[in-house]
Amino acid sequence: MKRSHLIAITVIAVAIGILISASQDVTTYANFAQAAEKGDRVKLVGQLVKDRPIAYDPEKDPNYLAFYLRDDAGEVRQVVLRAGKPQDFERSEQIVLTGQMRGEVFEASDMLLKCPSKYKDEEIYVRSEKQ
Amino acid sequence: MQYVGEHLLPGQVGHLLVVLSFVSALLASFSYFWATRRHGLPEGAGWLQLGRGAFVVHGLATLGVIGALFFILVNKYYEYQYAWANVSDDLPFQYTFSAFWKEQQGSFLLWSFWHIVLGLVLMLRAGRWESPVLAVLSLAEAFIGSMILGLYFGEYRLGVSPFDLLRHTMDAPIFERADYLSQITGNGLNPLLQNYWMTIHPPTLFLGFASTLVPFSYAVAGLWTGEHREWLKPALPWALFSAAILGLGILMGGAWAYVALSFGGYWAWDPVENTSLVPWITLVAGIHAHLIARNTGYSIRSVYAFYLITFVLVLYSTYLTRSGILGDSSAHAFTEMGLGAQLIAFIGAFAALAIALMAVRGKGIPAPPQEETIASREFWMFVGVLVLFFSAVLITGATSLPVWNKLVQWFKPDYVGAALKDPVAHHNRYQLWIGVFVGLLTGVAQWLRYRERHAEVWRRTFTKHMFIALVGAGVLTALNALWLDMYAWQHFALLFAAMFAVVANADYLVVFARKNLRQAGSALSHMGFGLLLLGILGTGLNKRWISSNTFAMEGLIEGMGGEELNRNVLLLKEAPMPIRGYEATYLGDTLERQTRTFKVRFRKRDAQGNFTGEEFVLHPNVMYDRRFSQVVASNPSTKHYLTYDIFTHISSLPKAELDPEFARQQEDSIRFETYEAAIGDTIFTKKHYLVLDDYTKAPQHPEYRPEKGDLAFGLKLRAFSLNDTAGHSAAPMLYLRPKQGAFTLPAQIGALQMRVRLTEASLARLLDADNALQYRTLRLKEGESVGFEGYRVHLVRLNRRVEHPHYDAQDGDLAVAAQLRITAPDSTSAEVAPVFLIRDSRPLNLKDEVAQWGLHFRFENIDPNTATMTILAAKAPEDLQRIPIEIAENAPRSDYIVLEAIVFPGINLVWLGSLLMLLGLGLSAWNRWAQRSRLIA
Repeated sequence: MKRSHLIAITVIAVAIGILISASQDVTTYANFAQAAEKGDRVKLVGQLVKDRPIAYDPEKDPNYLAFYLRDDAGEVRQVVLRAGKPQDFERSEQIVLTGQMRGEVFEASDMLLKCPSKYKDEEIYVRSEKQ
Repeated sequence: MQYVGEHLLPGQVGHLLVVLSFVSALLASFSYFWATRRHGLPEGAGWLQLGRGAFVVHGLATLGVIGALFFILVNKYYEYQYAWANVSDDLPFQYTFSAFWKEQQGSFLLWSFWHIVLGLVLMLRAGRWESPVLAVLSLAEAFIGSMILGLYFGEYRLGVSPFDLLRHTMDAPIFERADYLSQITGNGLNPLLQNYWMTIHPPTLFLGFASTLVPFSYAVAGLWTGEHREWLKPALPWALFSAAILGLGILMGGAWAYVALSFGGYWAWDPVENTSLVPWITLVAGIHAHLIARNTGYSIRSVYAFYLITFVLVLYSTYLTRSGILGDSSAHAFTEMGLGAQLIAFIGAFAALAIALMAVRGKGIPAPPQEETIASREFWMFVGVLVLFFSAVLITGATSLPVWNKLVQWFKPDYVGAALKDPVAHHNRYQLWIGVFVGLLTGVAQWLRYRERHAEVWRRTFTKHMFIALVGAGVLTALNALWLDMYAWQHFALLFAAMFAVVANADYLVVFARKNLRQAGSALSHMGFGLLLLGILGTGLNKRWISSNTFAMEGLIEGMGGEELNRNVLLLKEAPMPIRGYEATYLGDTLERQTRTFKVRFRKRDAQGNFTGEEFVLHPNVMYDRRFSQVVASNPSTKHYLTYDIFTHISSLPKAELDPEFARQQEDSIRFETYEAAIGDTIFTKKHYLVLDDYTKAPQHPEYRPEKGDLAFGLKLRAFSLNDTAGHSAAPMLYLRPKQGAFTLPAQIGALQMRVRLTEASLARLLDADNALQYRTLRLKEGESVGFEGYRVHLVRLNRRVEHPHYDAQDGDLAVAAQLRITAPDSTSAEVAPVFLIRDSRPLNLKDEVAQWGLHFRFENIDPNTATMTILAAKAPEDLQRIPIEIAENAPRSDYIVLEAIVFPGINLVWLGSLLMLLGLGLSAWNRWAQRSRLIA
């Protein structure tokens, strides 16, 4: 057998091995109900419920944020994140969380905010001094 | 409707030039295509001339488009959506560039600009490769040009023009007014983007992207003409140049993220970062295959494959970042413009071209009949190329999950989609091994020779240097394990590989390359790679959050623990807080334009908690939007040491600081109690007591900016809690500004949750006191004394240098102050200096007082004949000496910050290693370019 064939076989074997092991790093998107069912870490997309309380009291603990999130299915649950509150949190249009359900609460380890208006403010400023 | 004041000409010219640029790019591509096909024939020369002409026209037209857009931005023509969205009247000129390439159209133009520059260099220097290479390059230009065409074909819009008018892109009632333009102003540039990184990073990165098209075009040219070996030599410097610049662009992105953004690191395995890194990896793999091919004739097929895939990956990266498909997985913000289909067509066309050429012409690619020997450099280099390929496949696969989800959902709409649980951990786990293999291979391959035929002769040298590298790396690994905390055997493997790369390549530099620095490129790059790995280990593995105080936070939250959960610390103003290894104190803050800068002092402590004497102050800041309605950016401040950095940023602020509306509501809800006190009195409140020390006409307050004509006064107080004798000073003030009214500036004593303020009643009392005064006339000469209400008034001297807080010197003034020393019955004394002044032939005077005794003095007249001064003196009635003061207790604290502070050990190795890597690439590019030029000459 030629050396190049050996290399090719090795490469393919390694590739398959990596693919199998890497597939364990993958999780699926879920809503609260599915997350509770799976019990495993999932990705969850939802919107901040703005009329429910957002608990963040840095004087007590700057690393504790609790808020309510509405998932795709419309279910509202409390979410706890052990981190500081991002500056534009209230303005977020969409929140992507990684975490898992613990009882009634979704414990998130990672949060990503989507604030499209951050870069674009679709609002015309009217010059006040010229009127 | 006829609108007033619009400038439609630059947009019309710009749009015309966009169309011309697109058409001429197509023509250039077509002509160069035929110039290649008819090469050597008489008509070939004609096609070549036409191609050149068309390309030059394309270049000029594109420059014209850029000029027109720039003109619109500089002149702030808000009738154009692009100007309205990205600039504003108060935007400094230097940020016009950032505004230019912030949007997709501008960045396409930037990309195109670099293609044109590279195309012109190729036109002059590429010789017989000009036609095929520029045919491909012009085709890419036509695709990019189509992105900004903005032409409608029925319902379908091809490209988005940068010259769209605001009133066409938006539907708002204001456009019903003919003079709408005088009513609107630009949105301005996001403060996050108002820095020099946004000025230098995009041009560098886009030059990197643009330059990957050159090796791609050469590869296409090689396959097309069937001259599989001939293109290798002229293409090599281009590939090296491209890798250097693209690498620099990526590095700048990392540096930007680290230095100026609050990401807390230089690399986050974010999809946007990944998709720019992957083409660089495949390009570097291609360069290694290229070197093998140049030196031995092996692996030409791989060179083709890698250069072709690199540019397709650049296009794929463009698609991912501009189509909005990464929405859920990236922290970067994108503006989606509906160009997805056009971008897919772009990728599809170039991928199809690459695959078709490889399929049709691939069989003819030459390869030596014999296999490479195991002891040869080319063999191990090729193994390295495969390792890099793995790296690229892994990163691309993981980053492409959103694309995969979308594809599957197309066929199966109920598919929920997959995502990485923890992208950073995933990538680190796999890329670690890439680092290990590449590190080891760079060391080994460097000491092997191409086409080794005398392995037994070379073996001695090879063994000797491998021994040096192994021992050196072993020793250094052991030493470094003392510096870094290692958590797993894999980390030792990476550390060893990094050290091996450093030692073996440094050794190679010493032995060979010092004779000829130009040849040092590869060893320098590989040593840089080793150093980069070291830096990554240091910053990644030993990144430490020092902003935690486990003591203070313990037990507050149930079930909380672990370092990663304690990343932020609350710092109360002026209250030193012990944190890990330091003591941090928030000293104060200042506001300038939209930026609030905080002063935080760090004092280093040793293991016993004693201060080492080392201290420094950092200045993280936050930026508010233009209306001060919210914080839009938190900018870090970093203390740099040779071996580590301390990175800090404000992770949160009291709500009152973030939201002025909330602050007003909060202020209104505070309950103030009114107290009255004269100077020297003590006020007892419910929980505390205060001493009123002094009264001043020249008060200072952090928020007070004195203006001419202000009438200001302030108090100096000290507040004490009942069980603590350390006083907290407070200086509330109040000022009257002509035509604007009275303003009160309260003093806050955060530690006592106390707020002290003056009101208009305080002012009224002071004025009342003045009106109620019964002045008595005293006549004095210099040096004389006279008694008044039990006090002795002594005129020390007259002073022509008048320093009175309410005195504004004017030309023609004749002013003199009477320096008086007042001595009380208990023989304490005080000095006052009332002023007598003649302005415009009118006599005026400015009073002065001894507030604690309620004594007021005016300097009324000078009798020049007798040198006698007329001084008016009065003692205020007891009840009028007391000033009303409002004091609130239990005021919510808003004098704190929440800080995140991270130590990055070895961060400088990351920068040094990366720069060496790029320097090596640049050196090689220059060297190969020089060789090539000599050949042509």
